[in-house]
Amino acid sequence: MNKHYLFRNVIILLIISSISITGCWSMKELNNLAIILATGIDRNNDGKILLTVQIARPSAFGGAGGKTAGYQENNVWVISETGDTVLDARKKLEQKVPRRVYWGHNSVLVVGKEMAQQDIRQAIDFFTRSTIVRETMWVVTARGKASELLNSHSQLETSSAQSVDKMIKSGVGVQLNLKDLSMTLASDGNPVLPAMELTPSGVPQGPGLEENLPEVKQGEQKQTMVHGEITITGSAVYKGEKLIGWLNMMETRGLLWLKKQIKRGFVTIPSIGDTDEKVTVRVTESSTNVEPYYDGEDIWIDVTIETEGDVLEHQSTVDLTKPENIYALDRKLSNEIKQSMLDVLNKAQDEYRVDIFGFGDIFHRKYVKDWVKIKNQWDDKFANAQVNITVKSDIRRSGLITK
Amino acid sequence: MTWFKKLNRRNKSGIENKNKVGGSQFTTDNLPQEASFGTELDGNMSLLKDVFKDCSDLIFREFIMAQRDQIKLALIYVDGLTNKSQVSEQIMRALSLELPVATENEEITKANAFHYVKMRGLCIHQIKESEKIWDAIDAILSGDTVLLVDGHATAIINGNREWESRGIEDSKTEVVIRGPREAFVETLLINTSMIRRKIKDPNLKIEMLKLGKRTKTDVALVYLKGIIKNELVKEAKKRLKKIEIDGVLESNYIEEYIVDTPRSPFSTVFNTDRPDRVAANLLEGRLAILVDGTPIVLTVPTFFIEIIQNPEDYYQNYQFSIAIRMLRIFTLFISLLVPPLYIAIIAYHQEMIPTPLLLSIAAQREAVPFPLFLEVLSMEIAFEILREAGLRLPRPAGQAVSIVGALIIGQAAVEAGLVAASTVIVVALTGIASFTVYYSGNLAIRLLRFPLMFLSAFLGLFGMISGVIFLVIHLASLRSFDMPYLSPLAPSRLSSLKDTAVRVPWWAMLNRPQQTSGANSRRIKPRQEP
Repeated sequence: MNKHYLFRNVIILLIISSISITGCWSMKELNNLAIILATGIDRNNDGKILLTVQIARPSAFGGAGGKTAGYQENNVWVISETGDTVLDARKKLEQKVPRRVYWGHNSVLVVGKEMAQQDIRQAIDFFTRSTIVRETMWVVTARGKASELLNSHSQLETSSAQSVDKMIKSGVGVQLNLKDLSMTLASDGNPVLPAMELTPSGVPQGPGLEENLPEVKQGEQKQTMVHGEITITGSAVYKGEKLIGWLNMMETRGLLWLKKQIKRGFVTIPSIGDTDEKVTVRVTESSTNVEPYYDGEDIWIDVTIETEGDVLEHQSTVDLTKPENIYALDRKLSNEIKQSMLDVLNKAQDEYRVDIFGFGDIFHRKYVKDWVKIKNQWDDKFANAQVNITVKSDIRRSGLITK
Repeated sequence: MTWFKKLNRRNKSGIENKNKVGGSQFTTDNLPQEASFGTELDGNMSLLKDVFKDCSDLIFREFIMAQRDQIKLALIYVDGLTNKSQVSEQIMRALSLELPVATENEEITKANAFHYVKMRGLCIHQIKESEKIWDAIDAILSGDTVLLVDGHATAIINGNREWESRGIEDSKTEVVIRGPREAFVETLLINTSMIRRKIKDPNLKIEMLKLGKRTKTDVALVYLKGIIKNELVKEAKKRLKKIEIDGVLESNYIEEYIVDTPRSPFSTVFNTDRPDRVAANLLEGRLAILVDGTPIVLTVPTFFIEIIQNPEDYYQNYQFSIAIRMLRIFTLFISLLVPPLYIAIIAYHQEMIPTPLLLSIAAQREAVPFPLFLEVLSMEIAFEILREAGLRLPRPAGQAVSIVGALIIGQAAVEAGLVAASTVIVVALTGIASFTVYYSGNLAIRLLRFPLMFLSAFLGLFGMISGVIFLVIHLASLRSFDMPYLSPLAPSRLSSLKDTAVRVPWWAMLNRPQQTSGANSRRIKPRQEP
């Protein structure tokens, strides 16, 4: 009956759509893409933005053939360009890069120290607006220049960008992706980003893989036999959009405890008695409870942490089958955890006077009306707040006893 | 045979033909449908000889009955289509030598000869009588032996067909590990007997009709009365009777006449060469159409879900069957969607791939000089060439083709940098996956992969999804003998889903499929779980 009409209609539909939605416009052949793995933003001395990108070199990945036999090729290309804005620099970058610059797989955004001290917002603005860029990319702060950090290799991963990505995912340091960072900034929070730098890590595994380590670079650039690997060396503390200071790794762990971000990990504590011998405990379970109180004047915050752990390494020969020894270890473990938190807390309260723990959010949730009043002076309030930390540790398994 | 030819050729005046036949010579073109035999044997003979002029495989044998010269008989049959020993022993010997011994004292005249021939002389298990010349011609051509008695206008048609035929062999289209191996053959009667052996029920009806003006192919309609819906039988007969075709050499000749939607790539008539599958379909209230000369039997109605069903699903552990069906559904999607998906994602939506995978694919594609679509398309075509060559080549050469093909396409092309290894994987996976589902049903999937590839090459995922939506709409609009092609999925009934993506154990399959079974839908007694 109307089968022929159907056929005709389909033809008409195809003709119309071929005019209105012309195909192929968004086609990007893989061979025409410059896949950016990591991006670095620096502020130059002259005030311009220095954009550094780490571009994958697919031909160096080997693919099907065994190209990597013998020596390792550098499989990324690190290139920098200056500009007034990030996009301005990118535009100039296109004069050097023959392929279409593609940000879709950018997993790390490194912000250099100078840039961060000035305003991190200017560094991330383009990335938060762009539709192609992933909002889940990690934002890290370089302790030096981002361009130097990116000009590096990973001995295990195919690129240092992937190495950073995996390292952050493993939960060694703080984790903050672009989306969370912009949300923190939008809600007047104080972000804490992982701080990274190149550290000497063994020797380079082949020609072309020497690193430009900042401290050994001068003069004897190519003779150095030191490989630099991007390393997490703590955290960067921001007050709003400005970098104001750093935390070392110990303080970072304290921060993670307070931010409820540690579920498991290792804690090394002195063993029982007056010795230098140490015990390493693996924390298997942990819960953090933060409870703020406000009486209209003062703020005090109760932090309760309950952990469970196993003894995994023990240098002394104390008999851990005795309950009193285990209890003593429990107390030491509690003290250690508490101390690491107190360290970072003191630094945040006294030195930086910035709430980096997200206590403000917890307070907001509990005292909705009061928050409106003290919002603007929260950092002061926080700096003067009394924080009571209680840690309850419970070592469950002492491991194989050899006495 | 030369002595036949010497038999005098007379003019047609001797024939007592009620329906005046004009012209001096009879051929099949001017012989009227109702023309009947005359009483004169000579006239009948010469008429048949005219009809079968230049047919050297026809045998005309005249002899006398019971040693009485005045009673002449004639046998007409096709050499090679009849059982020759039966013709000489049970017909000629019986009539000319044994009958006189048995009837020594009886008087056999020309007038009562027919009675003696039919009731006492012939030792043939199945005979028919007909006065129509056309009946006799059809019978002769079908392999029956026609016996004409002088003085009588009725031909006796002896059913002693016998010809060389292929033995019953394993099924070639659907192979099973556990289950009956036998497959249909080219001879219709053997095929019907195979079904009858499986279903010993007087309700199993086998209705015969002839199709094809020239080939006069026997076509059998087989169904289980009481289970099948009567309208289905009526509808099938109606559609079959409408067919006017000169020849039917394979069941597809009929299939293309009786489908509901002739312009769809999806066939709404199911075909198989397995008697067990036909029997199972009959038990579910479907109708089988057997065509003489082909082992492929049609069953109607059919549903889309049959693509992923295999006879073995019913012969093995049901949990395993469920797992295998899930796998087939998966492979169905693979064989339809993986190449378009690959094109769409690699050429448009690189964001969707994990970074290490993207880098790996990028590395493989780095040296490839063609656009991705061209690369995938050419590989798909190469695979289809290999598949076709493997099918058509003489068997000993087939192996060589597959080895050379695998070497060239799998390895050399990749090493030469013409094709990315990932593309080879995609194409090979697609090709292998398409073999796991029912072959004929899969043809449409194989074909539709290409338009979908075009769509995703021009419009990315948007194009592919549009194509899939269009495909689903099309599938939902299909009917197989007025039953929805997508049932029992759409329209869906929970009770009918027991034999779709899953296959429940036999004691739980209480009802026949809702769509095909009429009022009598209960299959087994409930609560039989052991």
